[in-house]
Amino acid sequence: MSAVAESPSAQAVPKDGKTIVSVRGLTKIFKDFWGRPKAKAVDNVDFEVRQGEVFGLLGPNGSGKSTTVKMLLGLLYPTSGHIEVFGHSPRHVPSKAHIGYLPEESYLYRFLDSHETLDFFGNLFDLPPAKRKERNEQLLEMVGLSAVRTRVVGEFSKGMQRRIGLAQALINDPDLVILDEPTAGLDPIGCREVKDLILALARRGKTVILSSHLLADVEDVCDRVVIYYGGRIHAQGPLRELLAKPDSVRITMPAIGRENMQKVLDLIRHDVAADKVQIDNPTQNLESYFLEVVRKAKEAMSETSGATSGSRVAAYLRGDAEAAPAGDQLLKRLTVATAPKPAESAPIAAPEPKIDQTKLASLAKPVETPAPAATTAPAPAPADLSQANEKLSSLLGKPDGK
Amino acid sequence: MNKIATIAGLTWKAAFRYRLFWILCVLLAAAVAGLPLLLKDDGTAQGMVSILLTYTLSATATLLGFATLWLSCGTLARDVEECQVQMVAVKPIARWQIWLGKWLGLLSLNAALLALAGASIFIMLQWRASRLSPEQQKILREDIFVSRASAKEPMPNLGPYVDDIMKHEVKDPSAMDPGDLLEKRRQIVERLIAYKTVLPSGRARMWAIDLHNLKDRLRDKRLQLRIKFHTASNRGESEFPTYWKVGPTNSTRQAEMTESFPADSFQEFSLPNNLLDDQGRLWIEVGNPNSMDLTFPLEDGIELLYPESTFGINFIRGLAVIFCWLALLASIGLAAASFLSFPVAAFVSLAVLAIGLSSGTVATVVEQGTITGFDAAKSGYGHSVVDYVFVPFFRATLKILNLVQDFSPIDSLSSGRSITWGQLGLAVAQIIFLLSGFFCVMGIILFTRRELATAQGNN
Repeated sequence: MSAVAESPSAQAVPKDGKTIVSVRGLTKIFKDFWGRPKAKAVDNVDFEVRQGEVFGLLGPNGSGKSTTVKMLLGLLYPTSGHIEVFGHSPRHVPSKAHIGYLPEESYLYRFLDSHETLDFFGNLFDLPPAKRKERNEQLLEMVGLSAVRTRVVGEFSKGMQRRIGLAQALINDPDLVILDEPTAGLDPIGCREVKDLILALARRGKTVILSSHLLADVEDVCDRVVIYYGGRIHAQGPLRELLAKPDSVRITMPAIGRENMQKVLDLIRHDVAADKVQIDNPTQNLESYFLEVVRKAKEAMSETSGATSGSRVAAYLRGDAEAAPAGDQLLKRLTVATAPKPAESAPIAAPEPKIDQTKLASLAKPVETPAPAATTAPAPAPADLSQANEKLSSLLGKPDGK
Repeated sequence: MNKIATIAGLTWKAAFRYRLFWILCVLLAAAVAGLPLLLKDDGTAQGMVSILLTYTLSATATLLGFATLWLSCGTLARDVEECQVQMVAVKPIARWQIWLGKWLGLLSLNAALLALAGASIFIMLQWRASRLSPEQQKILREDIFVSRASAKEPMPNLGPYVDDIMKHEVKDPSAMDPGDLLEKRRQIVERLIAYKTVLPSGRARMWAIDLHNLKDRLRDKRLQLRIKFHTASNRGESEFPTYWKVGPTNSTRQAEMTESFPADSFQEFSLPNNLLDDQGRLWIEVGNPNSMDLTFPLEDGIELLYPESTFGINFIRGLAVIFCWLALLASIGLAAASFLSFPVAAFVSLAVLAIGLSSGTVATVVEQGTITGFDAAKSGYGHSVVDYVFVPFFRATLKILNLVQDFSPIDSLSSGRSITWGQLGLAVAQIIFLLSGFFCVMGIILFTRRELATAQGNN
């Protein structure tokens, strides 16, 4: 997969397309052997997912995300309520030809190797042998398992199983991709690749439903989210609207001299109380830093017995949206997406301490630390991921550490 | 069809990857090659074939039967428990296709293993036959390596006779208790059967077997009589002389023989050629010079055996009937696994098999009309309220079991009896279409209604 970061806002396909998934009054009650209610996993849930959207189901463990996903797939039956997927019941067999699903665990046949696994699932989609073979090759290349194609899935590490699971979910070039905790068990590179893949799919007008409790994953890729707790939806809407603080502004710029900085501060203090202004150095997030270190390490040496870092997104999955080489794509994005976007400039940070004059002085000095990696340049949001996580965590309660 | 074949192919892959196929091959090889080496025959062609066919085919059927039950429960129940079926069910394949794919996968696997075992048995049989003496080899070719159909006197319709006798002996039925009337009728039936089956001491009786459809086909063909009788004697192995006149009555073609046979076992002896009369009937007159009566059972007291086909074809038809049994076991196992966990499904399937194997007990209960058994105090069979529930249930069970157990390919093969195409067709209709079909429909309905994501993956 191409490791190119892109913010959700850069997606080309409009999100006001037709409704792909419609859920109304969905309730699921698990019952015991005698038919007595045991647990209400999902409680009167409503939402819609539109074509081309990356839709997040967010919530702590046991909140009802996976149960909802399984009802969308026809693996569980609702106690009450109504679900439509592509305008049909989730049990409508032909509709399933347009769906790709990655479950939260590896539920693959352990005695099949990677190639056989993809071939098996390709057969279930009635793909012709030539197309099956071509897609197998591309997908194995994409998820970095080409070198271990003859090893049975049962011998794979958890991360490798996630990769082959992801590949099988895409064998039919699905219009709706349902991913349940897609980054669980993956290393940071794999996580980044999965997120890039989701964005690539969305660019092609594919609809993605992402169920996760990893807030950073959701924030990186989702357009809209619903937030579950105790089987109910407690918040839903476009992610940007949910996270935005319209009464605050953040300006990011190269470091300037102390005098000029003082002038700027004086100007700001004219309208804003001193204790409401916060100044600090922007930092790149750990993911970007880690990816840069690994990139350099790969340049120096490269032999591993496990999965290799994935290649580009498979050609048939890229479609026209990514026909140009990855480098060209990156350049295009860097040159086009220069206009500041309101959401990116909106501060998310919650704590707002008073100005520290000593720190201000040090900040005014020219910066000597190395610049952040070039690939992360157009993505300012990750700098505040920890704060966003804190905010969402406080809303959801602490995950139980699944 | 492609999707069903894909699911069936998965069963094959699992069988090879988990080495099950090879393990079963080794066990079958041990049964086919090893068992006859351990069991000594009596040196006769009949003894050798009997041992080889009976033991090897029984061992093969038993081995494959248990493996089929176990596999059929495992292939579906474990897929559900380990959640793999979730990955399949979200693809554009209907639940019935998944179920049928599993069933056909098991069937094709069984077919391959049965064919391998059958071929091995056949080769082993030929090899062992080549080591017999020339005389025994001749017997083998003429009497045993053949496929013989049987014909017998039609079962008499006793109903009209019973009615006549009842009218004669019971002048006023309304004066009798309904239970007593039934008992009276039963006694008359027994008396008539005794009349038809008992050959009293110092008397002769005539049997007539109608073969008019086969008259031309049986010209110059070697025919044999297969007989069995019971006596009241307890002299163990001693033999009983019998006089036989076979062929058209009052004709020079009628053959006369004196043969001595032990009681309570099937015996065969050859007849001279061309003994049918002009209408294609074979007349058999048996005289009993002994001091005690001989009883020839209605169903298999006297049968005529005639050549019908080759041993090879018969052997294949016998294997096909065994295959029908395996198909039924596969459908029972899959049906149980469609709504139960693996251990419970395996237990239920084995319980069903156990009931099937205890058909003798079920038949006894139905015959006696009670499950309480013999009451020594009353010198009869007791009856209780429980019988009103269980006897009808056992009767229905026996009817179902008889659909399967009407066929005995192993006995037929080891005695050179023909399994006709008609019998094979009946086996396919009764065992596969009727019984397996019932379990298949039930299994598919249950599997389609089942929520597949309630299990937590444990792999």
